[in-house]
Amino acid sequence: MKKCALAALALAVAATGAMASEPTLEELMRKIEALEQRDQERQARIDRLEAELSARADREVEEQPEAAAPRRAERMAPRGPQRDPLDPAPARLRAHQFGGDGAVTSGTAFNPAISVILDATYANFTDDLDEPPGFDFGHGHGGHSHGNGGHGHGVEEGFNLREAELTFTGSVDPYFDMMVMASISESDIELEEAYITTSSLPSGLQIKAGKFLSDVGYINKQHIHDWLFVDQPWMRELMFGDEGLNEVGVQLSWLAPLPTYTRFGFEVLEGTSPGVAAFEGDGRHEMVTILPGDNNQPIRNRWRADKNLNDKDGPRLFTGFVKWAPDLGFDHAMQLGAFGGYSRVWQNETGHSSGRLETWDGDSRFVGADLVYKYGRGGLMGHGNFVFQAEYVHRELDVEYRSRQFTDFSTLELTGPASDPDRRDQTWRQDAFYAQGVYGFAPRWNAGLRVDGVGLTNRAYDDGRDSMGRRGMRDDLGASWRYSLQTTFAPTEFSRLRAQLSYLDFDDGHDGWQFLLQYNMSLGVHGAHAF
Amino acid sequence: MQRLILAVVLIAASVTALAEVRVVATVPNMGMLARTIGADAVDVTVLAPPDRDAHYLEARPSMMAALRRADLLVAVGAELEVGWLPAAQRGAHNPEIRVGRQGYFEGAAHVDLIDVGGPADRALGDVHPAGNPHFYFDPNRLATVGFALADRLSDLAPEHADTFQANAEAFAERAQAQVQRWQEQVAGGSGVVLYHKDANYLAGVLDVPVLAYIEPLPGIPPTARHLRELVQSLQGQDGTILATDFQPAQGAEFLAAQLGWSQQRLASQVAIDATADDYFALIGRWVEAMLP
Repeated sequence: MKKCALAALALAVAATGAMASEPTLEELMRKIEALEQRDQERQARIDRLEAELSARADREVEEQPEAAAPRRAERMAPRGPQRDPLDPAPARLRAHQFGGDGAVTSGTAFNPAISVILDATYANFTDDLDEPPGFDFGHGHGGHSHGNGGHGHGVEEGFNLREAELTFTGSVDPYFDMMVMASISESDIELEEAYITTSSLPSGLQIKAGKFLSDVGYINKQHIHDWLFVDQPWMRELMFGDEGLNEVGVQLSWLAPLPTYTRFGFEVLEGTSPGVAAFEGDGRHEMVTILPGDNNQPIRNRWRADKNLNDKDGPRLFTGFVKWAPDLGFDHAMQLGAFGGYSRVWQNETGHSSGRLETWDGDSRFVGADLVYKYGRGGLMGHGNFVFQAEYVHRELDVEYRSRQFTDFSTLELTGPASDPDRRDQTWRQDAFYAQGVYGFAPRWNAGLRVDGVGLTNRAYDDGRDSMGRRGMRDDLGASWRYSLQTTFAPTEFSRLRAQLSYLDFDDGHDGWQFLLQYNMSLGVHGAHAF
Repeated sequence: MQRLILAVVLIAASVTALAEVRVVATVPNMGMLARTIGADAVDVTVLAPPDRDAHYLEARPSMMAALRRADLLVAVGAELEVGWLPAAQRGAHNPEIRVGRQGYFEGAAHVDLIDVGGPADRALGDVHPAGNPHFYFDPNRLATVGFALADRLSDLAPEHADTFQANAEAFAERAQAQVQRWQEQVAGGSGVVLYHKDANYLAGVLDVPVLAYIEPLPGIPPTARHLRELVQSLQGQDGTILATDFQPAQGAEFLAAQLGWSQQRLASQVAIDATADDYFALIGRWVEAMLP
């Protein structure tokens, strides 16, 4: 009712206003005549001024034919605004106006560029297999396997919305670029990457700082939508971690001014990735027991003692890499890489309900190599394209193993006889590789095969003597294999549907099949992909 | 080790000494323009081969190596190279050629593009709200870009400014004369069907009507249904079907067979080391194909 009244009032006001200002036809005609006359007068004035101007210009040319000379001199002298001392190349230019609006159309339309990538899977496994033998150790808390990566970027059985990946990229100012990528899953939001890179350093140098995927190897830096298979290679997952080698730190890289692409990089990282830089830090080991007391009443006891693990502050992980790519013309591209890293800390622990605490405390190092080859003949929608990539990583964990037991509510003591306690220096040597090839067999379609092998070397050595008097090799586990076949249908470069079949063959005799379906779609300004 | 460092320094020094302005052009047509304007004062490298669709390239390390040492990057712009050039620029570690810097030149910024301001909705295909980037099909527009490029080159090598300006003028005069001749030749042409919105620049300049596009949406290959609809709508008319050498042949061949028209697939980019002569010859072949 109130609304009705208001509307009526507004209408009335508008109507009176219109009536008051409504001119008669005669008045309008008079106005038009006046306007026309003014227009004519102005046009005449413009013509006169133009004539004067061109006459003056002609005179100038006649009088000073060398008038162009100072203009050339002006061109030689530095022009434009004051040069920014921080700025190797002048960021601001004089306008080049030649039709068009002179505005560069690249990179300015959206700032920051925003993209959303949705990734979902359906999976069916014949067996719920754990991690391959020898690799459940360095994965999460020692001993407790996590199934088939039912977290992070792993694939769970059934329908599974892996993540919605939200990316913001843009230039901060003339000196820095920024990228923030958040991964939103059904239950939480995780900052996948958030870093700045310098954009104005001279001599081919670049610094990256923040939380980022390390540049070691080839696939480590890639996100889910870059993968050519539904899941990541074991190499990335088991040697580095579910999220790859994703760390907070700083990277310095240098692109050599050579005719062939040659890039060197060095990274100083906090060191938390489970595969090569697992960090527990010092703290208290706690255990609560509830035992029957007098009259069978439950009595609660809290057991607490220092773990006495090395508590080094970051940075703990240091990595380096070199990438080299010869120029093979327009149809072929290849990149070779070598990398390595050292972590000052590698720690793991397993608590047992018997009151025993096993800890591993030491350091780790890894080396690896990667190869990527791409062929593209420019066929319609990826038709005829071929990608081959292979990577290998070897890691060594040098740790002190201790097995301790609560002897009272606040003391952990080594087990074994006092003369030969259960404390050993242990060395683990393990490796992993994968090789995959993907071919675009028709426009929009590609298919690929991947072979994963882990634990080709899969050994633990005891350097000291253990409580049983053994020394030397402690464990010699074999290799586990996974063979995956995928087919992808990509209607456009922004959407893809994928099916994958994997056969897993573990060293411990377990095997199983996995069937996976995936769709991955991207929305918004999705940036160009690095090689 | 010392010897290695010395070798690296020497190679770097020799490369620097080769030419005055190291220009990297994204596509061969822009490379041709840079070579025409810059003449002996520039050394031009081209990133994309002529027989590829510049929409769908991948950033290769060799592009980054070329851009690392470049003084000037000459791009088409208007998002033509958006799928790969930004990645190549990022990977090049060369601040000079970043967007907005003196070493980044984009042709599209210096001419009036057609098809500007469409909706930025990918449901409509691979659209370019900034405008149609294929302005190099219009020699006059390319000549306009040539003047801007001459100016930019003059900023980098002021001692050659007059040469650059003279070369740009010569190219523009030639473009104007050619276009005028072609306009007279194709007057009364019946019209063309194109695969993609690219040669419509040339058709527009020559006043040749574009009857249809084989792609239902930019970047989306034609479906059988779309082709049948085209046949229905064009039945009884007269015209010719033109596509570039990298665009798929099937749709054009089907249309030609159904309508009884001629169809041709022509290069849209000159060879890597081409001259202005090659460029006018290339556009000339398109004009010839549009003749009534």
